[in-house]
Amino acid sequence: MTDAKQQTPFDVLQYLRQELMPHFLCPGCGHGIALRALLWAVHELGIEKDNLAIVSGIGCAGRTGAYIDANTFHTTHGRPLAFATGLKLARPDLEVIVITGDGDCLAIGGNHLIHAARRNLDITCLMLNNEVYGMTGGQVSPTTSEDRYTTTTPLGNTEAVFDACKLAEGAGATFVGREVTVQTPTLKNLILGGIAHDGFAFIEVISDCTEIYGRKNDLGSSAEMILSQKSAMRPETFENNIIDRPFRPNALPTGVLAHDKTRPEYGAAYRASIKAQQTKK
Amino acid sequence: MIIVGVGGQGVIMVSKVLATICQMQGHQVKQSEVHGMAKRGGGVFSHVRFGEKVWSPTIPKGGADVLLALEWAEAMRWINHLRPGKGIFISDTQHIMPPFACRSRQRNADAAYTRETPHEILEQIQDGYAMDATTMARDLGNERAANTMLLGVLSTALDFPAEDWRDVISRFVPPKTVDINIKAFDHGREWAELVHENPDHAAEQLRRPEIAPALLSEAGEHDGDFVQLDINVDWCKSCDICVKMCPERCLKLDDQLKAVLHKPELCTGCRICEWLCPDLAITVHRDPANVKASA
Amino acid sequence: MSKTEANANRHNVQGNHACALAAIAAGCRFYAGYPITPSSEVAERMSLELPKVGGVFIQMEDEIASMGAVLGASMGGLKAMTATSGPGFSLKQEHIGYGILAETPSVVINVMRGGPSTGMPTRPSQGDVMQARWGTHGDHTAIVLAPASVAEVYTETVRAFNLAEQLRSPVIVLFDEIIGHLVETIQLPAPESLQLIERKWADAPKEGYLPYAAGDDMIPPMPRPGDGYRSHTTGLTHDESGFPTQDPAKAEAMLARLINKVERHRDVVDAADMMATEDADILVVAYGTPARAARRAVKEAREQGIKLGLFRPITLWPFPERAFLAAAKSAKRIIVAEMNAGQLLLEIERIAGRERVSPLLRFDGEHIAPDEILDAVGKAA
Repeated sequence: MTDAKQQTPFDVLQYLRQELMPHFLCPGCGHGIALRALLWAVHELGIEKDNLAIVSGIGCAGRTGAYIDANTFHTTHGRPLAFATGLKLARPDLEVIVITGDGDCLAIGGNHLIHAARRNLDITCLMLNNEVYGMTGGQVSPTTSEDRYTTTTPLGNTEAVFDACKLAEGAGATFVGREVTVQTPTLKNLILGGIAHDGFAFIEVISDCTEIYGRKNDLGSSAEMILSQKSAMRPETFENNIIDRPFRPNALPTGVLAHDKTRPEYGAAYRASIKAQQTKK
Repeated sequence: MIIVGVGGQGVIMVSKVLATICQMQGHQVKQSEVHGMAKRGGGVFSHVRFGEKVWSPTIPKGGADVLLALEWAEAMRWINHLRPGKGIFISDTQHIMPPFACRSRQRNADAAYTRETPHEILEQIQDGYAMDATTMARDLGNERAANTMLLGVLSTALDFPAEDWRDVISRFVPPKTVDINIKAFDHGREWAELVHENPDHAAEQLRRPEIAPALLSEAGEHDGDFVQLDINVDWCKSCDICVKMCPERCLKLDDQLKAVLHKPELCTGCRICEWLCPDLAITVHRDPANVKASA
Repeated sequence: MSKTEANANRHNVQGNHACALAAIAAGCRFYAGYPITPSSEVAERMSLELPKVGGVFIQMEDEIASMGAVLGASMGGLKAMTATSGPGFSLKQEHIGYGILAETPSVVINVMRGGPSTGMPTRPSQGDVMQARWGTHGDHTAIVLAPASVAEVYTETVRAFNLAEQLRSPVIVLFDEIIGHLVETIQLPAPESLQLIERKWADAPKEGYLPYAAGDDMIPPMPRPGDGYRSHTTGLTHDESGFPTQDPAKAEAMLARLINKVERHRDVVDAADMMATEDADILVVAYGTPARAARRAVKEAREQGIKLGLFRPITLWPFPERAFLAAAKSAKRIIVAEMNAGQLLLEIERIAGRERVSPLLRFDGEHIAPDEILDAVGKAA
């Protein structure tokens, strides 16, 4: 892996299906920045494009996967982790990365997230959290901040917000991290850590939806949005100094939030138990 | 009447205004629309039919009395729906390049955007209006009012009182923008009347959009360090992140709202614009060898 | 040959277990499922058998995930299967549609129980015939097989894998609770005697490769991840490149090919069994458990001099219409016996005309007895 770093400088174009570009995302959409960070991490890890499998769900995040020059699977709403589980078990040789959104992963697909985390199969789940259902026109999502306006919360959102990282950690994910897009190299390093981790890695990327969500809530331009996201975060080093609050007020920790190297990876453990049974005979 | 545009331009708002004003004049109205790919390159259209009695909600090819287009390529896509010889054609001349129009892997490749020019179209249509409403509205203070400016043009063709138009527009545009939209509407009316008096008026005002080079490369030298910025203008969606986040303030959006390096001598090659470009349109080269490789 | 030798491969096997054994023999190397009565024995047996052959068994968090994992494994290149019953079958429908559109081979076993909703989990039913046909949304094909004995569960499960692989489509095997839990003595075929089909893998040049470009057989070879094709798979309507399209001509071409590829292969898809149909005045149409009662009824009726015949579709969808028309040629009356409120009945009425057809239906959780069929025959005669 360290050798790969010296091989060639990162050129994002090598990892894109350039004939499909420009991508369909709105101007200023943070998903594009997250896409770069992911491909940058893939490059630094020296993963061959032929062995890279991107499994994505439905929504803006889900369609982002199609621009990657790899084996890409655009699956159903909320279920990319289920497809990825089958794919990874069938093909342990593939590097399986899931790209999903906050609605895809936490609402319709919430069940699959908690069980994928519990199972600890070697999948990296990249959840692009822009707090809104962008593709369908801007409806409230499980991560929409309190009081925010969406097309289905005309009076302001009154529901509590999911802390996706805590959810994943509580469910047993062995690598959990969160990062904002404006710190792209840090985000890249976090994703790199998640992919390199042998087990289920959950990474929440705080992304921005300027065109729909930002406009509806007067959050300013894309640049202003990504900067305010940064100021609403606190690095993990300060984690213990701040009183824990159950739902997102204005300060979410970033960085690697959980990393357990002791739990066995599901696929390897399954194969080992088969082998043990066979040798017993 | 058929109203067309791309997501976010206000096709739906314009049709609501039209439907309401027709209803105010005592007509039966039917409106049907397709939207949902807002801002993602998808077209949006709306059919508005009015009259004493309306049965069908949609308008067949060659059956529209009015085609109101907020975007030029959408105008071309729908022009065959206009009643031959009789229909009124009103279109903004601005181009919004949809993502799928520039699919070629080749740099400098022609975009697959419609090639018809406003001049060619106006020559073929008796009652046609093509105006650069977006620029005119921007000059008035808000380019998003281009849609009401086009309504102003349309209002001169329909026999409804101008006051009713202003009243309905005030109800449907965002409250903060009522004044600018009324201004734009009146501007559209005046412009149309000038065109009625002197058909050349429109032609004089039509500016051919300049074709932007597909790739802008700017190089700077800093203490012997090589820096070169490649900006793929076909991919740039004008989000302004690079401009605002550049620590040296050396980028700006040009007339076409594409990012350009306007002060190359200040660029330090820090790559922040490259990292933060959501459209993956910026590449910062620090090694001359790589520039050759990618060219 | 001694008696023991002859009996070497004869086993008392439950229907659900026969299904699992057949899947293994057919090359199935991945199973994902969720427990549901009356199909759970399929999963239990698979969890035991798959590790022996280097396959993977996983019990997923729900029915939807099970079907998703099956499709994921199939995209990775393994023959994959899941088993369920009515409520779970409903939950899997979106993914079955995905499998049809993205052309991902897979086998779905549905051991039918009484419905709707939780219904009668331990009672037999044939209430999912129409769900199997039209369960997922949109216009689509369905390949549905309906075995009537434990031995046939075995052969039809093998055939389901072959059809799934050959036609690149989900294939559904429908049987009812009685067959699922029925133990019969069957002769397990020697593995080498089975004719197995594996999907065509893409070997075209990588430059300009079109993953959904099909030849004369209308079935595009499948790109295997890792082979260097780096293609895109989506549940969106796509063109030959695999990327989404809304071009009406391309959208129509895609769906037309999906429908026609099954029609083109009716010779291998269609299957039906006929008994005494050549001169039949009255024809019983039955599949699954009721077909067993019908066989007895035909025997008894013939003994009484009544010219009764049996048409038993083994492939339910697409319905083997040509074979049925041949079997029904001489029949003045057609009796459709099924354990539901009249589902295949609609198809028979469509083909034969309503005036010729009378229903014999039960949806009380009980099977149909031979006497009931004979009664119906008596009334029809």
